[in-house]
Amino acid sequence: MRALIAATTGLVLAFALVLTITAMGSPMGKTSPKPLLTTVPAHP
Amino acid sequence: MRRKASLILLALAVFFTALSPLLRWYAFPRLAKIPANQYQDMVLEAKNATLLDYGTMQAKTVPKVTIVQTLKGDVDAAKKIDKTAGRDVVVWDGLSYVQGPDGKMVSSIPERYIFDAHTQDPVHATGEMVDGDPVKRDGIEFKWPFLTQKRDYEYFDAQTRTTNPIHYKGTENFRGVKVYYFEQTIPWTKVPFPKTMPVKGITPESVAKTGTTRWYTTVRKFWVEPVTGAPVYGEELHKEELRGGTLLGDRDKVTAFAGDVKMREDYIKHTVALVKSNRTLVLLMVSYLPWGFLTLGLLLLALSLYLEARSRRPGDPASTEVQEPEPVNA
Repeated sequence: MRALIAATTGLVLAFALVLTITAMGSPMGKTSPKPLLTTVPAHP
Repeated sequence: MRRKASLILLALAVFFTALSPLLRWYAFPRLAKIPANQYQDMVLEAKNATLLDYGTMQAKTVPKVTIVQTLKGDVDAAKKIDKTAGRDVVVWDGLSYVQGPDGKMVSSIPERYIFDAHTQDPVHATGEMVDGDPVKRDGIEFKWPFLTQKRDYEYFDAQTRTTNPIHYKGTENFRGVKVYYFEQTIPWTKVPFPKTMPVKGITPESVAKTGTTRWYTTVRKFWVEPVTGAPVYGEELHKEELRGGTLLGDRDKVTAFAGDVKMREDYIKHTVALVKSNRTLVLLMVSYLPWGFLTLGLLLLALSLYLEARSRRPGDPASTEVQEPEPVNA
């Protein structure tokens, strides 16, 4: 019984971690202020 | 004590073993995406190209034609479309600016490309366009999906405004990176004149009145790093002609542009380095961590079972558990 509880705890923690990380996602940030180029850049 | 340790190890074993497929099949497809605020530029060159002199209407060979391509993510537009589309979207505003050997503009074609941030599938929304013309893309453009497969893809051609297959032609090694080589041929097709013409006073409408039409063909080649789906190198055998009409006098056609367009060397080096770095990040999620967690989970499980077996061995002093005294009930 205790083994089953331990295994379930591990499984729940794994799901909780992955669901939390994916729900948080990543911030979208802001549009770059740099313009669309009409000159040839000297380097990347 | 061993019993308690084996239970903790069992919980950890299940935790890491479950994390492995969850990371690969659940988290990765949701976390791997093109950032909405991405900005990138690319310089391509066509050396010893043929270019039309609109002053004399004669084609001539020039030492170099340069194409500057910029892609800029519009975050606010992406947020708006996110809400209606119900998925993560990227809105790229692009500009293909072509410059002649004298530094003067040859053509300047803007476009707006809207696509799913995770799968790179096109998303249709107001504002999707090429050179001001509304378009509907049915395929990818500029970038392949993460974990690119060895198969043909549908690729959008901005000149003809059509989507056509781009064929997988084999696996190669490009500067130490394993890449998939894709090729697409667009046969001679009548295409619209750019809205911005190189000579002041000449507009697409004024040219159309002369009866002259613009035709284009290209062989498009991409070497794509399959884990990230990012092209590390690209080439185009690009030809444009003006045909018929009074603009050409007694000639049937004249070459407007012909050249082998290739990425500039410093941009190739930069792109290869960037793709190598991004590749490691993607591999971390699809390979290194899932396999690592699975191995760790199995090792912990084995250790847990070992401790459990030892704790149950008869005659082993460690297996003798201290019995807590039973409460005495009256």
